Amino acid sequence: MAQLYVVQSADFLFLQRQTQMTPGNLSAHLSKLEDAGYVEITKEFIDRKPHTALALTKKGRDAFKQYRRDIKQIAERLPE
Amino acid sequence: MSKEPNLKEIERRAYMSYHQDGLLDIFAGLYVLGFGLGIFIDIVWESSPIGLSMPAILIATVLPIWIVAKRKITMPRIGYVNFGIRGSNKIFALFLGLMAAGLGVFFAFTFAAYQGGSRQWLDLIVQNGMLVVGFGTLAVCTLFGYSMGLKRLYAYGLLAVIALVIGHFVGIFFVYILMALGTTVMVTGVALLIGFVRKYPLKGDKAIAK
Repeated sequence: MAQLYVVQSADFLFLQRQTQMTPGNLSAHLSKLEDAGYVEITKEFIDRKPHTALALTKKGRDAFKQYRRDIKQIAERLPE
Repeated sequence: MSKEPNLKEIERRAYMSYHQDGLLDIFAGLYVLGFGLGIFIDIVWESSPIGLSMPAILIATVLPIWIVAKRKITMPRIGYVNFGIRGSNKIFALFLGLMAAGLGVFFAFTFAAYQGGSRQWLDLIVQNGMLVVGFGTLAVCTLFGYSMGLKRLYAYGLLAVIALVIGHFVGIFFVYILMALGTTVMVTGVALLIGFVRKYPLKGDKAIAK
């Protein structure tokens, strides 16, 4: 989610390189995120080659923002 | 326990991964080398059209070739990413800045040369041209190195200022230093590109996607 949050869109290979995850593992994560409506998968053509772009939906971005807020609040409540 | 993701670090890593291929260095080096050659041709053949138009030729050719090289070499190896308007602006600003700096120096010297020493400040710049260019290059490299997160730009800036300061005091012809610097940056870029291609060999898209 964080990887997709900082960019507009990316493809599977880019996410795999950045996260260092195996294709199967990453694919499973993305499927779950797509089912939840957090990730949008778009088929497009780049240099006449089929290409799959992945991007966070508005719902996904909002959920990630909320997650960050929650984590921050939890961290603040923790004793030093 | 879950940890808050460091988005700036993730963004920096994503951005850096796109410039570890050495293409930026190859084309920046090519630009500096071509710029030096332009001045050299201009001096040898006295204001030849090729020498004078060299910066324009470079601007017109280097950027499109760089974009094609990115698509053909980098993207198939580390994937495609759209950084959005902010990310694109960073790359555009880098090239525009470098080219503007190069052009600015070129025209300042050309202008100064044709002024015939009528202005003292221009004479001062011409007399200390190598120091001006050296520290100017260091400033440009530091600025872009910081904004792009590319530490090797600091090294290029330092190399340029050291070479030009030495050249100024020892009396080495400016163009030779420029061409040597361009070649050094270009060779570094080639070495980075070889490393990048070895590190990220091409894989079939289908094998990765499934």
